[in-house]
Amino acid sequence: MTRFEPALDEQMIATFLEDKEGAHIDDMRFLSIMRFLSAEARMLDEERYREWLALFTADTRYWMPVMENRYRRDRSVPVFAPGRMSYFDDSLDTLELRIRRLDSGTAWPEDPPVRHVYAISNIEAFATPRPDRVIVHSTFVSYRNKLDRDESLLVGRRRDLLIQNGDGAWQIRRRLILLAQSLLLSKNLNIFF
Amino acid sequence: MCVWKGTTLNPEDLKALIDLDEGWVSRRIFWDRDIYTVELERIFGRCWLFVGHESQLAGAGSFLTTSMGEDAVIVARNRSGGIEVMLNSCPHRGNRLCFADSGTARSFTCNYHGWAFGLTGELLGMPEEQIYAASPRFDKSRLGLRKARVATYNGLIFATFDESAPSLDDYLGEFRWYLDIMLDNAAGGTELVGGVIRSTMACNWKFPAENFAGDSYHAPWTHASGAFAAFDGGSVRINQAESYHANVNGHGLEFGLDMIGNAATMRDPIVLDWMKGRQAEVEERLGALRTRMWGSVSSGNVFPNLGYLPGYFTLRTWVPRGPHAIEIHVWSLVNRDAPDEVKDGFRRGVMRSFSPAGILEMDDGENWEHSTATNAGVVTRGERLHYGLGFESEIEHDELPGRIFLGQMNDANQRAFYRRWLDLMTADNWQGVPDRTTKAVAGAMR
Repeated sequence: MTRFEPALDEQMIATFLEDKEGAHIDDMRFLSIMRFLSAEARMLDEERYREWLALFTADTRYWMPVMENRYRRDRSVPVFAPGRMSYFDDSLDTLELRIRRLDSGTAWPEDPPVRHVYAISNIEAFATPRPDRVIVHSTFVSYRNKLDRDESLLVGRRRDLLIQNGDGAWQIRRRLILLAQSLLLSKNLNIFF
Repeated sequence: MCVWKGTTLNPEDLKALIDLDEGWVSRRIFWDRDIYTVELERIFGRCWLFVGHESQLAGAGSFLTTSMGEDAVIVARNRSGGIEVMLNSCPHRGNRLCFADSGTARSFTCNYHGWAFGLTGELLGMPEEQIYAASPRFDKSRLGLRKARVATYNGLIFATFDESAPSLDDYLGEFRWYLDIMLDNAAGGTELVGGVIRSTMACNWKFPAENFAGDSYHAPWTHASGAFAAFDGGSVRINQAESYHANVNGHGLEFGLDMIGNAATMRDPIVLDWMKGRQAEVEERLGALRTRMWGSVSSGNVFPNLGYLPGYFTLRTWVPRGPHAIEIHVWSLVNRDAPDEVKDGFRRGVMRSFSPAGILEMDDGENWEHSTATNAGVVTRGERLHYGLGFESEIEHDELPGRIFLGQMNDANQRAFYRRWLDLMTADNWQGVPDRTTKAVAGAMR
């Protein structure tokens, strides 16, 4: 048994919590990122989770913190912060663990299948000091429906650090998911973002 | 017959719904709103309820907000270091006072008219106070926030609005011996990881409560997929010959003696090595038997709605939000003097296993929702549910306190949960709530 990698690191924090924006990237690369994110969303809709997992780098970090309700004047703890309770605080091996559950054939709540629609919008892509790395902001709407009336609508923002390989393909090196809910108005997160 | 506030139910109606000697429970108790209304008054209005952990209130003015039943409360550290629990509602027009999950404050000021309340709930003042001061019969000292009784046990903060409730120590009774496995296995005590995961579920609160109190039986089947993932294709194994149900007045723990069976599903060698390395220290503190229970395949519920898993060090409350809805609040508890990487291992282990995104918890909700929703049917809810596993399994045990039943796959704790539920629902006061810790005579064990 190998230890799961710690999910958060200095780079994640520096990348996502400082909110520095670089220049917009050129339109051709921007289009290829849009194509990448749409293809990724369809993989999730179609439950092609092993393919989806291959979009992440080996050292990926995948973080979905709990958003807390705090007064604006309260500077003691941010509305989300590393080391606090989260929904996901994952590395590639723990994402794989979750997919293994779905692959087991005994995940009873996923049968009959859940219908997923995952819409990505408001995409912005910013350059970083490393030309092969781009910070991408996007919004998501994740709709789930199961059986007849069992539905869940989750809306939020994402910030990705994408890395472009030599062959031009994109991979996800860091992903931060900020749900626009504090109390999760859903019974589970048997999905990804 | 006594007439209950807001309902025409009487105790005899309820007694007819529950037949624990034969192991039957009416499905109506998971659906009917009039029963739920009485639960809020007679169970959540009278019992000691978990409201937080002392580590969440670091200094004077630290506060958090939570619920006792459906009553919103503020839990705050006052200037003398004491803990106050008070209704989160202004006594002037009833508006909610505090809207933050937690933080630090000198006072709580109502958004409606600006009435301000101090850390001990006293009314400090309001805008245009001279008008009130000149107003006949106005008495500021009588307008503080309604406060609950507060008591702590090994770091856990409990509160009750019932002045006649027994002391917290008496309320927990011998169940403290079991809680100490999680709360007192190290000299430094425990603390909560920052933050809480809160989610919603369309189920009656008693389904998760009874599940944690005693339902080991569901684990291998419900959680087959999570166990498959966590154990590389393996499964949950339960040894009926060396596992138990223990209950004390409705509090229940089901457990094996495998030491790390539950903890192992977190698949974190740093956590497991730390646990194994502490075996001698824990034995010294808790004895050999409780050391074998420390991270075992186990689950517990402190009546009525504080669930916990010793193997993961996680606490959760099942907060009622109507007869068919709950919120689940999940915390990660860690030993204060554990290394940071161990604390973080537990935090991530809990999130990955028993949180809304956890590979084990996500199978439970589906069951509890549909166990509730099916009772919309009038014929369906006229039926009763079977709680008849493990009759005559009660044993005497030299070391284990409370009532002990052999075999972790058992309905004994669930029957004890509903026994306590019925006792409270039908008693007019705490004097009328019987102590159920005395073992029945041999042969009549239920």
